[in-house]
Amino acid sequence: MVCGKGSAVAVCLVTGWVGNSSAQQLSEEEQLALVYGDRDTVSIATGSKQLLRRAPAVATVITAEDIKAIGATSLDDVMESVPGVHVTRSYQSNFSIYSIRGIGANQTTNPQVLMLQNGVPTNTMFRGDRGQAIGAPLLENVERIEIIRGPGSALYGADAFSGVINIITKNAETAPGTTTGMRAGSFNSQNVWVQHGSRRGALDVAAYLQAGRTDGAGQIVTADAVTRFNRAFGGSSSYAPGPMSTNDEMIDGQLDLGYEKWRLRGGYKRSYAGLGVGASSALDPVGREKGERINADLSWNDEAFSRNWGVGFTGSYLQYAEDMTYQMFPPGTVLPTGTFTNGMLGMPGRWERQYRFSGNATYTGFADHSVRLGAGHEDLDMYQVRTLKNFLLNASGVPVPTGAVIDYSAIQPHQLPHRRFNDYAYIQDEWNFARDWALTAGLRNDNFSDFGSTTNPRLALVWDTTYDLTSKLLYGEAFRAPSFNEQYGVNPGADGNPNIRPERIKTIEAAFAWQAQPDVKLNLSLFRHIMNDTIRTVGKSGGVGFQLTNTGQLHGSGAEIEVEWNASRKVRVTANLSLQEMIDESTSMDAGYAPRKHAFAKAEWQMAGNWMLAPQVNWVADRRRVPGDTRSPVPDYTTFDMTLRNSLEGGKWELSASVRNLFNATALEPTLYLAAPGNVPSYPTSAIPYDLPVAPRTLWLQAELKL
Amino acid sequence: MSCMIQPTLNRHPVFRALAGLLLLAALVAGSTQAFSDIAGSQARKAIAGSGRVAIVYPAIGEPYRSVFEQIISGIESQTGGHTTNFEVGANADFGELKNSLRQQGVEVVIALGSQGVKFAATLDRDIGVVAGGVIAPAGDELHDAPVQSLSPAPALLFGRLKQLMPGARRVFAVYEPRQNGWLIRYAKEAARAQGLELVAYEGQDMRSAAAAYQNILSVADSRRDAIWLLQDSIGAEGGTILPMVLQEAWNHNLVVFSSNFGHVRRGALFSLYPDNVGMGRRLAGMALGFLSSGSYEEQGMIPLREVQAAINLRTAEHLGVRPGKGMEFGMVFPER
Repeated sequence: MVCGKGSAVAVCLVTGWVGNSSAQQLSEEEQLALVYGDRDTVSIATGSKQLLRRAPAVATVITAEDIKAIGATSLDDVMESVPGVHVTRSYQSNFSIYSIRGIGANQTTNPQVLMLQNGVPTNTMFRGDRGQAIGAPLLENVERIEIIRGPGSALYGADAFSGVINIITKNAETAPGTTTGMRAGSFNSQNVWVQHGSRRGALDVAAYLQAGRTDGAGQIVTADAVTRFNRAFGGSSSYAPGPMSTNDEMIDGQLDLGYEKWRLRGGYKRSYAGLGVGASSALDPVGREKGERINADLSWNDEAFSRNWGVGFTGSYLQYAEDMTYQMFPPGTVLPTGTFTNGMLGMPGRWERQYRFSGNATYTGFADHSVRLGAGHEDLDMYQVRTLKNFLLNASGVPVPTGAVIDYSAIQPHQLPHRRFNDYAYIQDEWNFARDWALTAGLRNDNFSDFGSTTNPRLALVWDTTYDLTSKLLYGEAFRAPSFNEQYGVNPGADGNPNIRPERIKTIEAAFAWQAQPDVKLNLSLFRHIMNDTIRTVGKSGGVGFQLTNTGQLHGSGAEIEVEWNASRKVRVTANLSLQEMIDESTSMDAGYAPRKHAFAKAEWQMAGNWMLAPQVNWVADRRRVPGDTRSPVPDYTTFDMTLRNSLEGGKWELSASVRNLFNATALEPTLYLAAPGNVPSYPTSAIPYDLPVAPRTLWLQAELKL
Repeated sequence: MSCMIQPTLNRHPVFRALAGLLLLAALVAGSTQAFSDIAGSQARKAIAGSGRVAIVYPAIGEPYRSVFEQIISGIESQTGGHTTNFEVGANADFGELKNSLRQQGVEVVIALGSQGVKFAATLDRDIGVVAGGVIAPAGDELHDAPVQSLSPAPALLFGRLKQLMPGARRVFAVYEPRQNGWLIRYAKEAARAQGLELVAYEGQDMRSAAAAYQNILSVADSRRDAIWLLQDSIGAEGGTILPMVLQEAWNHNLVVFSSNFGHVRRGALFSLYPDNVGMGRRLAGMALGFLSSGSYEEQGMIPLREVQAAINLRTAEHLGVRPGKGMEFGMVFPER
């Protein structure tokens, strides 16, 4: 058959190909396909009314339906399926690190990714990431997730460094009616939730509440930091081999009110969780972290404010608290400075609040131009800090036992309260300078009260090359603001540095979207980035102790390939392959930890009746050790998941079951290699000697009821 | 040790109370929804009710199920939820279903989808029928009952075309007569009313459809002509005809608009597609009108007027088409 894509009409006539006769009656699905299109577009047509922009960026959108299909229960599950993204684990707690294009895989925090909820930043100030004590976002109230890979500071400002994640929550329009659900699964996990959306005249009301708990997998750690101390200094205090502390209890509630052009949202989330492998890489069966977040935002938007103007503004508030209880090292731990008879204990706490105000305007009065202007003010205040502990750090940063736990806030706080202001302005112009060509140019200036000013540009050239091919060439610069801990922290590992500057990145990308066949779409993106002013731990200038400072440069490159194939009306296959390498220019060697090869594939099969089966496979490979790390190579792993769904009673009930890591593959995430900085043999902290196991086979069952 | 580290929230009373409350709500809600089969047949009664209006809709999986759920929600918003709803599978026992309708005193049936229409065609004439959720009945005898088609009204399509392309003078279409003959009759009238000439080719099979498009593309003038893709398995066949038409139209800067929402994602300039909830409200209005008057206000096939619009901005930019500020679109492609 030669009447394929690209053929002229005459070719089909010459070949004499004749399709099916029209006489047959169309089935229910065939008729609906003629109205709404394929499965994807049916879902879009029956989804929410939403305006999707042509973004000059490399982006992935995960919808609520996608989330159900892959059996995802938290953002971690979703992120692993996104091209260019791998979810690894902090070796200090159990915090999930979203490493985008290889960036940030070697860290205990995740400040290179800007997390937005309905467009409002939710990154916290102490560590700069989305908040370690609050857990990964739950998904039952999520309408869609937009993930932008690459720099975004020209529009979003700080921390849009390796990527931006924007979580769009459900509202009365996208989730009308009342739904309640429950899920139970392995490791004594239970979640229950209820969600409601309705309209009262011009007022939209949506509310959601979820409660959940889990013991977690409690994977066994063979040896921890204390194991090393025991070998070096004597003692037998380590809990290893023993289970990680992975229990968690959480409450999550959100409210969404809409009235004409106004929207008011509020949220409350609380988590009370174990510390994974421990705050100091030492198993901690008694420690807990309690996180609490309260957020609210009020916005007003009028896209047709006047003939050529669209206008909007947003004011938001976020309060975040971390209240920790650590047993950093167990009772009997011996260090060169003494013995911790009751264990090395700490109860740090931090309370911060953020106020943000922003306004934007879009002007379309110039022919072939769409200009977007914006400005804003941010007040980021860590207003209270608590330091309770039973030790002090000496000049080398080594803990010295001091007896009872007392308040050291006045003597040696782990952090002082700090307040940061930022004023910013940006402009972006999308210029259609020729048929099928558009150039987007943007520039944003941020002026921070503590570390100064930074300006970041963005250029995107988009060419609608042919009817079925779009090509993009993108350039952007971005920055990651130093966290308060990096500026002012007092830690056993390294002290903060008030003079520290933001990390910077420059990225160039080429992206292609090709509708290769009516049922096959291919996306290819190629990138190269250079990072400088990297924040790292170095010895202090006096030779005693360590401090964070800007030093060194890394460069990386890679490619992401995606395939979407609607194999039939009942089967859809999507797959992606991500390749990357990152070179640390101080060693000219691989920066390590992040997979250089990563592939993910899933199929969605609409079976007889209302059954839906969705198998998926995830392959993580080629994670290098850094120079000096003589441990054996990190083993590759492949996991299989399977999700089965069915709906009953006209869709009122939806039942689903999912198995993650079906074959119980051993999957390990690399722990950080810490060469003793400055060759100080008594350097007190150490990574876990062995790599960390991630979740074994996990099963859950779920029922949802639409009332 | 002076400071005992004790988890204080491990069984926090607020957490336990909240979890228990949610669990209770879910269980109570669940217990009120009993599964019930109708004498073992595949016809399934979904919602208990005592109204004089029944909805019969097809058993179909997602994502298509959502279409009917939205239509039903529109119906129920008009009837106050006083309907009796039946999901019918491919092998449903229509006899049992009819008995059930009679026992419940149903006076009018809103038949959705091909399966619903197929059932409605077996009903005696003392029960009213309002049909919807189909492009056109596949030969089922519905007497004089109204059938709300899923095909957008040509008048609305042509009106939108004139908004986006004020210079449009001629519209070409290729259609399979048994599927869309009825609609073309409406369309010719609607075109005339808007100062357009509709040039419609019959496509009995793929070969004749391809030949028709060859004719169209050889004569079409991008300044004044446009191509209309119908909901047609021949004239807008997705695997071969559609990509050819879209590619040639792109190359010749021709406007292509469609009655199929999915075509906009593929590259058509715009489409009108059903506002399912609005369509449900309209069906409910027709059914309630029958209940009050005992007769139908309209009869036979009715093109859909409850629609939303979708546009492809990539195509619009390629064609130099600029949607006006006041123009509302329910969906904008391409998505990022």
